[in-house]
Order: sequence, then C-alpha cells, then structure tokens
Amino acid sequence: MTEPAAGSIYDLGYRRYEGARAGRRRAIWALYADSLRGAFGLGRGTAAKIAPAILIGLALIPAVVQLAIGVLVPADVELITHDDYYNLVKFLLGLYCAVIAPDMVGRDQRNRSLVLYFARAISRLDYAVGKYAAMWTAMLVITLVPQLLLFVGNALSTDDFGGYLGQSWDQLLPIVATAALGAALIASIGLAIAAQTPRRAFATVGIIVTFVFTLALAGVMVGELTTEVTRLAIFASPFNLVEGFSAWMFRVPPSDPDSLLLAAGYPLAPYAAVAVAVTLLGVGLLIRRYQRVEA
Amino acid sequence: MAMIETDALTKRYPGVNALDELTVTIEPGIVGLVGVNGAGKSTLIKILLGLVSATAGTASVLGFDVASEGTDLRQRVGYMPEHDCLPLEVSATEFVAHMAQISGLPPAAARERTAETLRHVGLFEERYRQMSGYSTGMKQRVKLAQALVHDPQLILLDEPTNGLDPAGRDEMLELVARTGHTFGINIIMATHLLGEIERVCDGLVLIDAGRLVHQGSVAEFTAATPALDIEVDRDADRLAARLRTAGLTASVDGDHVLVTTDGAAPYDVVRDAVVELGLGLVRMQHRRRTLEQLFGPVGAADAGEAP
Repeated sequence: MTEPAAGSIYDLGYRRYEGARAGRRRAIWALYADSLRGAFGLGRGTAAKIAPAILIGLALIPAVVQLAIGVLVPADVELITHDDYYNLVKFLLGLYCAVIAPDMVGRDQRNRSLVLYFARAISRLDYAVGKYAAMWTAMLVITLVPQLLLFVGNALSTDDFGGYLGQSWDQLLPIVATAALGAALIASIGLAIAAQTPRRAFATVGIIVTFVFTLALAGVMVGELTTEVTRLAIFASPFNLVEGFSAWMFRVPPSDPDSLLLAAGYPLAPYAAVAVAVTLLGVGLLIRRYQRVEA
Repeated sequence: MAMIETDALTKRYPGVNALDELTVTIEPGIVGLVGVNGAGKSTLIKILLGLVSATAGTASVLGFDVASEGTDLRQRVGYMPEHDCLPLEVSATEFVAHMAQISGLPPAAARERTAETLRHVGLFEERYRQMSGYSTGMKQRVKLAQALVHDPQLILLDEPTNGLDPAGRDEMLELVARTGHTFGINIIMATHLLGEIERVCDGLVLIDAGRLVHQGSVAEFTAATPALDIEVDRDADRLAARLRTAGLTASVDGDHVLVTTDGAAPYDVVRDAVVELGLGLVRMQHRRRTLEQLFGPVGAADAGEAP
C-alpha cells in the first residue's frame, strides 16, 4: 500500500475543460441575470436587500390596498385608477432608480473589474446593452407588477370578475405599454447618469436631482410663468412625461384639476414621442460612456 | 502556428510612444515579457486582448486578428490584470463562477470549473468567504483563477507577483510554472523582474521604450556562459580593477566580484590577484550568468540596484 493514492484524490488539480462553450450570447445573458439579481441585493449581504425591498413594498401598497378592498368589500369600488398610478408613486420610482442604478453600473467601475468583462467574450456594446436590459427589467418590477396587481384588484372588487375581464381586457395593452415605456425612460436616465461616475454617492444624488429638479422646473415654468416658451419645460421633466403618455395611452385626461398637463395644454401624444426620444438619448449616452471608459 | 505575431505594432499616446513598430513572433510555451515599468508591457498585453486598439500595425493571437476577431480570440485567452480588479463584497466562488459564465460556460460547468480552479490555485474553505477579508496573496490567487476558469489556451499575466511578500512571490511563481508546465497552458508573463523570468519561463521577450530589445530562450542565456563568483573579505573594487587589467570582464556586487569568461575559468589569475592585493578569499564558485548581467542596465535600473 502506498500513500500517493490518497494524495491524488485530494489533489485533483487542474483539468482541461472539454464541455460546451455557449459564447457571447450566454455571456450577455449571464451579465444580465447577475446584474438583475444584484439590483435586488440577491447574492449580496442583507444591507443590499433592504432599500430595494422597502421601495418595491411601498410602490405596491396602493395596489395591495385595492386588492384587499376588492377581496374584503363586496362593493364596486375603484379607488385608484391605472392612469393615476405612476403619479401616485412617482417619487418612489425615482428613488428606486437612484438606489439601484449606481450599484448596477458603478460597482464594476469602482472595483476596476470592467477590464475582466472586456477581456472576455462580450464587447463594450454588449456590456452596455446587458446592463440596460437588467435595469429596465428591474424597473418593470416596480411599474408593471403593481399595475397588474391593481388590475386584478379592480377585477375582484366588481361583482362579476369574468365580466370585468371581458370588459376591461383592452386596459391590458396600455398597462403593459405604459409600464414598458416608463421603465425604459427612467432606466435610461438613471443608467446614463450613474455610468458617468464610479462614485455611488455622486450617482445617487445626480439621479435624484435630475428627477426632482426637472419636476420643480416644469412646475415653475408651466405653472407660474405660463408663457409660450417656458411651457415647453414640461417635456424636460421625466415624471411629467410619464404622466403625459400614461394619460394618452389610457385615453383618460388627467383627473387632477391642478395637473401641469392641463396647464401646459399640449396634446398628449407628444409626451410619448419625447419619452421615446429621451430614452434613446439616455441609452446612447450609456453606450458612448462604455465605448470610452478606460478598462 | 505562432502563438503571437505582431507586425510594426505601434501605439501612440499623447507625448509618448508606448509601442514603437514592435515586430515579434512568439512561439507557444511560457514566455516572459520583460521591461522596465513604462516599457510597453501592459500596453502590448492590452492590445493583444483587444482592450486597446493599436495606432498602427497588426497583431494576431492564436491565429486570430486582434482587431477584427476579438470576440473569438477572447474566449480562448485569460487575462490577469496588474491592478486590483476584484469585487470584495462577494465570495471568490461566486465571483469566479460569474466570470466563467461571462466567458460563455453554462452555469453547471461554471460552478464545477470554479471549484476545480480555486483548488488548483490553493483556495479551499476560504473560497466561500467574502473577498474583503482576503490577504494580498489570496486575492492574487483569485485573479489567477478567474483567468484560468474557462480553460483558455493562453493566459496573459501582468505582474502576477505584484504586492506579494517573498514567500507569496515564491508560491505564485511556483503556481504559474505548474500551470504552464504540467497543464500545458501557454503563458505570457509580464514582469520587470528578470529573476522571475529565470525561474518560470522558457523564453523571454525583452522590450524597452516600446521596441524589441531581445528575444530568445531563457536557458540559452543562463546556461551558455558560466560566471565565476569570487567573494573577498574587503576591497572588491580593487580586485575587480586588478582583474580587468589582466584582461577579464569583472563586475562588483558588494563583496562579490563576478567574472565572466569565454574559455577556461581563470582560477590562477584570480588567486594571484588576491594574493598580490593582500585580500582574504572567502569563497570562489561557479555561478550561472544571470539575465541581470546580460541586460544589466534594463534590469538593474528598475530593480533599483547598482550595476
């Protein structure tokens, strides 16, 4: 009997890999999945999970309330409408974006691990696209999910569940469309800003300032100054864009009489067009950043 | 097929030519890329990986053109950067498995390869802990593991012993040598320390100011010409001067005088000189000529040693 047998079990050492290599597509998918998990703090410490969980929870409250009413009260109550939802939770959307975007694109810059990605199967463009897709999906969780819950809640609150569905199925298209565009818009602004700096604090503050400052600016320019030129400022405010294209897609004029949309007095379709344009601009800036950033 | 081929490869940065029409063909094996800091080693590696584009000239790695076939090429090579690049808030296992997937491996294979590769570099139970608690040596091992996890044909290591203490340096060099010799993975190792090349590499490529200075096999240099190492109790300078007048090539290193000769060892000349000067001869032995002696100015200037 000799010892080496035991030793060789212990030291399997290095073996060649002959298995499948899925290449670039697999790599982009892995980047997307890992980034998305990271957005919710999955695979990280507890601290990373708290903020996203709280914000998602808060954004769900109106929908959950409606759902609860639908289940518990046998009356036809529709407290919260789809077209109103984003207006109700807009600051949560902004805050959520400001919390997850800096982590999603700042971490690899901070750790200087970008070079490990670019030295692998994926390109700089692939990286930007993968990150954007992850951010967009993460934003859908806080936009589409509450809207769908609300839909179910509203359906339950009627006496006739099947009847409501039959009557309101056409609501589903604007529900999905507004969520998709809203998530795309906020994700692109958030990542375009956050990707410019490895510093998390700068990125978070930058995103919050962008959302809040433009909202306040639009409030003053449209609500107070009300001139032909200053009214255009409403198109510079992402939150007002979301409100605008939501009203357009749901084909419901703003219910709030104080709404800036009414003060601005523009037709609603341009809000959607501008939202698409801003989204593309943001994605463009993100891609440009990753073409240039030193790895 | 040559492992790496460059033709008039040039990289200009504002005010400096990092690579200056570098033309070199590197055959498979463990090859050291030597030069002082700023000689263009890192720039060359980054161009070979397609991370940086060349100003002029062409380069191919494993037969793939770096400019046009980067995606195919990068699936077959691994890269260990010089600087810190690890996300410290995750564990080594999680990080390396993720990198394996970014290299295109399916999740199950990525996990299996991660376990194997981390074991290969000598990380065991600690691989499940957050990397923020790792020593520099452990971090360097993880950096090597991520370069190896997708089983590349070639790995490019940029100063793999950077920041390590002597013991850690020995272990890393041993690991690099084992990876190359036992597992047949081709290695390009950039370093400014010639001693590391001697210990690990088969071949070497010496560059300075972005130009090729020398290329060849390591053994050829260290074995071909023997040197005589003479240690005296004092006045090594005077002995060296005396030996030079006798027609020998002598250099001083502390109390040692190194004599290189082409023919037979000049024992008698040395003995007579020592007696003549009234010095005490402590020891006289054969030493392989080191790369430092060959490329004295380059190696010594950077290592901060007097020539």
